[in-house]
Amino acid sequence: MLQESRVNVLSVKQISIQKPLTEEWMTNPEIHTENFVRAIDPDFRQFISAGDARRLGKLLKRALATSLSALHEGGITNPDAIITGTGFGSVESTELFLEAMIRDGEQMLKPTWFMQSTHNTASSLIAIHTQSYGYNSTYTQKGLSFECALYDAWLQFGLDRISSALVGGHDEMTPEFAGFMRKAGHLLEGEICSEAAVSALLSTREQEGTKALCTVAGVEVLDSPDAETLDHAVRSMIAGNIPDAVLTGMSGNATNDGYYHFLKKTLPEVPLLRYKHLFGVNFSSSAIAFYAAANCLGKGFIPPVLTLTGESVSCSKGILLINAVEGRHYSVILLKPLCGKL
Amino acid sequence: MAQNRSVSITGFGIVSAIGVGKQETLDSLLSNRTGIGRLKYLKTVHTEFPVGEVKLSDEEMERILGIAPGTPATRTALMGMLALHEALSDACLGRGDLLQAAFLNGTTVGGMDKSEQYYTDFIENDTRNEYIKSHDCGSCSEMTADRFGRFRYITTISTACSSAANAIALGGDMIRAGRADIVVAGGSECITKFHLNGFNSLMILDRELCRPFDATRAGLNLGEGAAYLVLESDESVRKRGVKPIALLSGYGNACDAYHQTASSPDGEGAYLAMSRALADAGLAPADIDYVNAHGTGTPNNDVSESQAMIRLFGENMPPVSSVKSMTGHTTSASGSVEAAICILALRNGFVPVNYGWTNPMDDGIVPNMELKPSCRLRNILCNAFGFGGNDSSLILTATD
Amino acid sequence: MEEMILKLKQEIIEVLNLEDITPEDIDNDAPLFGEGLGLDSIDALELIVLMEKNYGIKLQDPAKGKEIFKSINVMAEYIQKNRTR
Repeated sequence: MLQESRVNVLSVKQISIQKPLTEEWMTNPEIHTENFVRAIDPDFRQFISAGDARRLGKLLKRALATSLSALHEGGITNPDAIITGTGFGSVESTELFLEAMIRDGEQMLKPTWFMQSTHNTASSLIAIHTQSYGYNSTYTQKGLSFECALYDAWLQFGLDRISSALVGGHDEMTPEFAGFMRKAGHLLEGEICSEAAVSALLSTREQEGTKALCTVAGVEVLDSPDAETLDHAVRSMIAGNIPDAVLTGMSGNATNDGYYHFLKKTLPEVPLLRYKHLFGVNFSSSAIAFYAAANCLGKGFIPPVLTLTGESVSCSKGILLINAVEGRHYSVILLKPLCGKL
Repeated sequence: MAQNRSVSITGFGIVSAIGVGKQETLDSLLSNRTGIGRLKYLKTVHTEFPVGEVKLSDEEMERILGIAPGTPATRTALMGMLALHEALSDACLGRGDLLQAAFLNGTTVGGMDKSEQYYTDFIENDTRNEYIKSHDCGSCSEMTADRFGRFRYITTISTACSSAANAIALGGDMIRAGRADIVVAGGSECITKFHLNGFNSLMILDRELCRPFDATRAGLNLGEGAAYLVLESDESVRKRGVKPIALLSGYGNACDAYHQTASSPDGEGAYLAMSRALADAGLAPADIDYVNAHGTGTPNNDVSESQAMIRLFGENMPPVSSVKSMTGHTTSASGSVEAAICILALRNGFVPVNYGWTNPMDDGIVPNMELKPSCRLRNILCNAFGFGGNDSSLILTATD
Repeated sequence: MEEMILKLKQEIIEVLNLEDITPEDIDNDAPLFGEGLGLDSIDALELIVLMEKNYGIKLQDPAKGKEIFKSINVMAEYIQKNRTR
């Protein structure tokens, strides 16, 4: 679908198992060896008063902090749309409420836990905090949640309904749920179970005093595509212009990595990148991919830590993002540098 | 221009406390019969709360669907399958037609009915791992859809009580943007102990039958159900030679940005959602023949929504009613369950009654209490307002 | 009563997760809702749960909470009169 105006990525902020709200991981990453790692949190008091924070679990604090940070950097106070993706929602509150319900025989339960456990709490919290009355939605499609949110934003831009959107991908973990992730096969052997909160500010307008990171050239999401459909989706996305690299969800697990083998045929000469060895795996991993790629394009280089070869890759044509969710759902996103032509 | 591309509705399916399927639902609406009563299927200590349960056990639903006993299935998915089956038959869609279609599902509880039952097993042993897989909302949508074939795109919207309405709106957007020609959109939600207790902790459940827009209202009754609409582009309708049964002529989405569980006193989010829907459809308030209100029966919603409607319609208030005293509050599914009821009203020429209402509010609307059989409705505004201020409105229009 | 008031303040701080507040910060006669501590309707529900859990007082009508939670002193008096634990 042709966009009449370019959708630029003004800013993307993250809280993850790398240092929060910085891109230090590009040159000096945290190395994790445990198989369950919780996010490194910033001091939330710089974003949220203690009074406001009293009712917010980790996921919500992170969603709000990354959102406010992205909005501040992008120079927008009230985005036209706030759209969030979360695979499991506020797991901690869900767990607390569920365990209390089972333990105490459905009596004397805390409303705050229940309130936080509904998945749209992050989207609405951001709207309440910024007093934004625009389009607001939440997607819960496992590891595809962020792309579903992005796809909706893409549609809204294309229909000329909005000129800015805050798109987020947020997931938290508890030791219990980390166990569930493995039991259910959402997490495979050798993969690190992690947490992530990512907020991306997109706009079709020029923002004074702000330089955008990159442009979104296309978003596609597919359920169970066969090899031909996948190949076709990639080819139509890149439209003959070979990107600098493909950022994949390869994690070192053979089964998971197999979902990306088609790239050897479709884009044989293009370097493949990976990020899960740094950021771990959770339902918002693909949001981290978006964040990483956008910032690479913003800086004009792809650091060796992301490449399979350990060598830098130049960044002037664009990065293709492929996310395969348990071999079933695929997303294909193309990010291009600002100076690149559509 | 893509924006004005018409969105046809070519079929739908519905399951709720007032009926399994369109015909039973219609019969209940025309007989003014509530489906709310004592808890029968959910195993909970809180039997003091009237609820609108679908009058089928999980096993009975599995039998109807031909699902082998022992196959992992959650109640939300089972209800979804029943409604989806009816919708696809209604629109004459076969397996092959789904390959290029999208399935957009609204749910917030997902597989929680099984998770809350087996949570201890999830932790202590490996006997119920298939239900860990079905816990999250996305998996619930897949479980529902996979029975019927492979879609090109599946996603799940969780915006609490506006989930299904937002799914339908997203479907409209996909068709208008040329991203799909056929979209099946709606939602499903079963009653779980989790949210029954959750709503109880917020103290917004009524121990009596709920009374939307009544001065004595004291809270809502939970319901459950599922409904899906089949949305199609003009090209698809022509190509397949099917006849639209209604049109999705507009929709609006806004955030109240006020509080996580309460609506603003002046109903700003509701007002914006309804206004945006009207603007989207190119209609004026005077063009609306009936408003299917969100009308939960809570002191807060009904005054907030009333204020919003008064702001929008002024002196010229069309008939308004809430069906939640018949179906109960079907939460995430309410947007599509009630949209389906609106289509029944359009097709059969009646105005749903606000069952059980007696006392006018000082600061609210007076709801419709007459069926008005054989009336001709042209445009219906259907509201769905969720926690967190996720407010959405749909406009359903009769075909000629 | 003084001991009970201190305990009550500590319980409120804990249950409402008021991280930066100490019992000394809460004036016994200051309003808890709106101004003063600035609590809201969800906090009121949490206090209703607290009253039942810790003092065995069951409140069916959330609207009653407004009067009972006027201030620490009013709340403490009510608990003293009605506690079953």
